[in-house]
Amino acid sequence: MEEGILTGRRIWHFATFAGPGLLAYGCFVLAPIVLSVGYSLTNYNPLRPSTRFVGFENYAALVTDQQFLASLRVTTIMTLIVVIVPNVVGLAVAVMLDRRGALYNALRSVFFTPMVLSSVVVSVIWTRLLASDGLVNQVLGWFGVTEPPGWLSDPNLALYSLSSVICWQMLGFCVVVYLAGLQGVPQELQEAAAIDGAGPLLRFREVTWPLLAPALTINTVVLLISAFKIFDHVQVITNGGPGTGTTATVAFTVLQTGFVANRQGYASAMAIVMLVIIAVASALVLKVLQRREVQL
Amino acid sequence: MRGWAVHGRDGTVLRPLVALVVSAVFFVPLYFVLVNVFKPGPEIASNPAAFPLPPTLDNIVALLTRSDRLFWASLVNSVLVTALSVVVLIVFSAMLGHYVARSRSGWVRWLTLVLLSGLMIPPQVILLPITRVLRLFDLMATMQGLILFNVGYYVPFGVFVFTGFLRQVPRELEEAAAIDGASRMQIFWKIVFPLLRPASASVMIFLGVWIWNDFLNPLIILGPGKGTTITTGIYRAIGQYQADFGQVFALMFMATLPVLIFYLLLQKDFVKGLTGGATKG
Repeated sequence: MEEGILTGRRIWHFATFAGPGLLAYGCFVLAPIVLSVGYSLTNYNPLRPSTRFVGFENYAALVTDQQFLASLRVTTIMTLIVVIVPNVVGLAVAVMLDRRGALYNALRSVFFTPMVLSSVVVSVIWTRLLASDGLVNQVLGWFGVTEPPGWLSDPNLALYSLSSVICWQMLGFCVVVYLAGLQGVPQELQEAAAIDGAGPLLRFREVTWPLLAPALTINTVVLLISAFKIFDHVQVITNGGPGTGTTATVAFTVLQTGFVANRQGYASAMAIVMLVIIAVASALVLKVLQRREVQL
Repeated sequence: MRGWAVHGRDGTVLRPLVALVVSAVFFVPLYFVLVNVFKPGPEIASNPAAFPLPPTLDNIVALLTRSDRLFWASLVNSVLVTALSVVVLIVFSAMLGHYVARSRSGWVRWLTLVLLSGLMIPPQVILLPITRVLRLFDLMATMQGLILFNVGYYVPFGVFVFTGFLRQVPRELEEAAAIDGASRMQIFWKIVFPLLRPASASVMIFLGVWIWNDFLNPLIILGPGKGTTITTGIYRAIGQYQADFGQVFALMFMATLPVLIFYLLLQKDFVKGLTGGATKG
């Protein structure tokens, strides 16, 4: 009897406290993932009613799909740039701004601002700046460049222009995290190293850098996960072009295939591959970086 | 000593100078929007970098008085979606976070893992089936549908923040209240929830900015023509009025202003929230 009341209470507690959140998560995240896996084994297309089970056919087709392979290549290059550049530049900016005073506070705000801007706003700004008659090329003109590059219209250049825009927006995040890391470096350690005759570079390498290991981990993992799902900038700035697939990321191609071409079964297979890659890559990076933190 | 410091090799003069120049270059895109909001249309194309002299409010007035009410409609939608999503998210994730943080059973660890893996799931993986789930409940292309989706999609982040915070709040307070005969609900709302204020602030700040800025989710869920949020409104404006960039800049400026003010007021909490783990690891 007692036990029955206790179990009843436990269920009531679970239902009232955990229930609402879990229900929303289940309906809008977990169930869709399961559905996605299901779709990926069919030829589901909302415009063509005869949906049937096709097994792993979609996955097999992906291996030779030039469009998908191109999007993997684009995503890989973009991810590498977006993980490395803001990390390196962000560290330099953080070191530069790691001083007290009103000037440095104001300058920090400058770097943080793009973080709170919508990626659509950032994309529109840069589309104008990088247009063939945009500000960037006008400035180049002042320096006598008569044939400026087509930042967004040259198929060999667009991917790098796009990646730079994303780096510009992500930089602030890295700066914040590195600044916090720098403020956690004890002043005494720096002074002790200075007394022992270590120059600024050696002090940075031997004292500061190892203590920034957690900041590096956070930045790398967050940048990796964000870079992998980049869609907004592609949609607004290049729409996947110029030409075919020069800037179409996997995230972009999934939605194009699913919602524009309506091949939802096939798009789901792409999405599942994307999910597996992102999970494996972030788990791997996290493991490597955390092991490094322990060793340091 | 002082004189030495001014000319010192550690860059006492050099550092602020370099910092100013680097920040100025970084600032150019933001400057570009700011000056062009207050410039007449033709001048934006011919002289994008010039300071707006004399400044004009024409672009903003034109935007605010548009016959299709693009700005006002989008603003109302964005405010509604953001505010309602954030309020529901704070309540749901605080309670779920409390359940997770206080539960002693083993399977809750699995539950936590399943929830936290939600932090890295890209929306592209779930959006295709989401449209079907929402259609099932007749919520496709509605604000309610978008809000419910936001709640499900962002609940892991809320739980992550609240459980982390609750681990530092002692249980004894709650246990004492339980002995006094208060129910779980009373204890949570009267004692625990007020203590969670800093965590609630973090969740509000981050999710508020993210949901306000969301582009893909409203684009797919609200669909074309079924009302726009601020971001999908900008996207529509660049499609429609390719030439009138004065108005597009005005729209971007007005769309960002609320977030920017919010952010400048709460900058300290914002940075604190971001860097909680950066120093501890």
